[in-house]
Amino acid sequence: MSTAVKLVTKVWIAPGCIVCDACETTAPSVFEVKHDDGTCLIRPAALDAEFTKPLTPDIIQAAEECPVDVIKFDLIEVPADQAPKFATAAAAPAADKAEPHAPAAAHAEGPAPGAKASPEKPAPKKPTEKPKSTDPAIAALIAAATIRGGAAGIIKGADAPSALKEIQKQSPDKLPPDARYAKVIEQSKPEKKDGEPSRREILSAGVAWGIMGLGVGVPSLMGFQRFMMPNVLEEPEPKFRCGPLSRFANLQPGEVDETFKNSGKFWIIREEERLAAVSIVCTHLGCIPNWLGNDRKFKCPCHGSGFKPNGTNFEGPAPRPLERFKINIDAGQVVVDRSKKFLAMGPNDTAVWNDPDASIPV
Amino acid sequence: MFEILANSGASLGERFRGLVNWLCAPEKFVSLATVGFILALVAYRKWTKPKVILTVTILFSIFYFGSMTDHNFFKIITKPDNVPITMLIFFTGFVTWLAFRQAAINDERTERGEPLLEAGSDDKVLVWPDLVYTELICLVLCTVFLIVWAIILKAPLEPPANPSVIPNPSKAPWYFLGLQELLVYFDPWIAGVLLPGLIIFGLVALPFIDKNPRGNGYYTLKERPFVISVYMFGWVIMWIVLIIVGTFLRGPNWNFFGPYEYWDSHRPVALLNINVSDVFWIVMPSKWNLPWKPGLPNQAALGGLVPAYIIREAPGLVLLGFYFFVMPVLLAKTAFKKIFSQLGMIRYVVFWILMSWMLLVPIKMVLRWLFNLKYFLAITEWFFNV
Repeated sequence: MSTAVKLVTKVWIAPGCIVCDACETTAPSVFEVKHDDGTCLIRPAALDAEFTKPLTPDIIQAAEECPVDVIKFDLIEVPADQAPKFATAAAAPAADKAEPHAPAAAHAEGPAPGAKASPEKPAPKKPTEKPKSTDPAIAALIAAATIRGGAAGIIKGADAPSALKEIQKQSPDKLPPDARYAKVIEQSKPEKKDGEPSRREILSAGVAWGIMGLGVGVPSLMGFQRFMMPNVLEEPEPKFRCGPLSRFANLQPGEVDETFKNSGKFWIIREEERLAAVSIVCTHLGCIPNWLGNDRKFKCPCHGSGFKPNGTNFEGPAPRPLERFKINIDAGQVVVDRSKKFLAMGPNDTAVWNDPDASIPV
Repeated sequence: MFEILANSGASLGERFRGLVNWLCAPEKFVSLATVGFILALVAYRKWTKPKVILTVTILFSIFYFGSMTDHNFFKIITKPDNVPITMLIFFTGFVTWLAFRQAAINDERTERGEPLLEAGSDDKVLVWPDLVYTELICLVLCTVFLIVWAIILKAPLEPPANPSVIPNPSKAPWYFLGLQELLVYFDPWIAGVLLPGLIIFGLVALPFIDKNPRGNGYYTLKERPFVISVYMFGWVIMWIVLIIVGTFLRGPNWNFFGPYEYWDSHRPVALLNINVSDVFWIVMPSKWNLPWKPGLPNQAALGGLVPAYIIREAPGLVLLGFYFFVMPVLLAKTAFKKIFSQLGMIRYVVFWILMSWMLLVPIKMVLRWLFNLKYFLAITEWFFNV
């Protein structure tokens, strides 16, 4: 008694229909897809629905299946024992539109006395004609309908409501489809020729071949890995000789010697008490900044990073100061060793430059 | 502005140039573009009328091609690399107008209860002869166009790379100038990897985030104002306008110049950048009486559990945490309530990831231009700067 049945009382289509046939396939009694007009209509019988005349629950399924979600409907919940009354009310006018497998449909298949029986399905023949209804509930219902003479009889009958309840408990897809519905389903199925693989077969074959291809291809490509590497890696000698220290004697604090920018990829800069070798590569994206002597700053032409004469970043996007190379005096020569770098992490975090290898005191 | 206009010593042309240069400071230029964009969305039924848009196009063409009398502007737009920019400006204007025009017509029709422009039109055409002929004509015209272009304009080739001779400014190909502009404001991993990746990911994710069928197959603005505004903002302002900024306004040393200004590589421009942590730990306590002394914290806390940089960057972490994680919750309860209920949790999260990063770009650009803000979060130790 506590179980409730959901009945659709109203259905409509919101704008945005893409005319795809899905709804007509699912609920042919309700929807009519008009390809010529590029729209989808509700059939008049379903359009006239009033509160007392529930529509086929197929609408719910059709709404779920609609790819663009434009099918809208109203639901009411009815206690299961009252549902047959609504169903009966629906049975009379809706009888000519065979509703596939709703509680109402179960009635429609029976010969209701006050209603037009479906012309293509004469009621009296039904019990004998339908061997497929082996379901006991259906069988009971059909038996009740035949014996007592119609839907009105079912309601009045002592055992009939229980049979109806049995049907109501079943989910729509468990119920046998009626002939028309079955026909629509049959027609909507994609044509499958013999020997032509289905989508599922193509997909699984694709996945299988793909996995096999990866399994074979990746290891064999890894065999070529060595082939992708150069046999000889030419790197410039990391140590660069810049000549005697006296060469930089005239360099004033804050000045930059650009002599080795091209040949050695570094600048020699003079701080108050020391000389240092600064890499010419911008710490932002690897462009090469210009030394602007008049402005006393390095300025990158790619993204506008600016560095002070000692290499600390102060404008633009560069996150860190310019890198410094190891510099020392070897046999009277200033030697810059580019294999050893001193990376300061920020303009205020330059302690690493105080390393004795990072500069030459002057 | 009034000083420029009232400068009695200058000729009318000079005053006009001064005004345009003044308006083309980046913060004003992008703000004006955004205001114009919002006006265009609001008054889309007015400006899309053929007479109005024709007048606007003629006026703009006079302005644009008349500007060629200025030597610097002439040099910019006649550079072979930049010829596509002129085409880009006019083509983008045209297709934007076309779409908004049809949207305006459709929206008026729906209001009057008439069928849409697209209603009843059958898109189906025959491959032969319709499609093949069209393709053939396009092919011939494009080939002719490319040959003429290749003959008339010399390829913008430069001498072999030499570290001591760097082009100044060093500009990317024109279509990447928007991305190059982003690199000025963000770390390479954000501007070069994350943001372009999010653009592609976002475009792929769009149909899964926005499942509303309205506007499918027909032009409309009235039915989808929010979605179209957001998309057009990302496209017109964040892509096209940034390309224009990169082409016309970026000069030597990657400084900003007006379109009529001489590109002086020795012009001194002071751009002392500061981080949020500098503002919080140094600027604020030295201005106001705050309980902490000016100076960046450099001591780890809790016995080394919390490194110094976490404490140093705590203000930025709080700001970004609020922006990325608290803002979406607040918005879902207030302004985006409807959107949240439509999207559900997962799609709303994806929506906010895309939206927050897109909005972070203009936010940070404006903060850089106005306050020289460098990073919200500057953990250089991890190369993690936002």
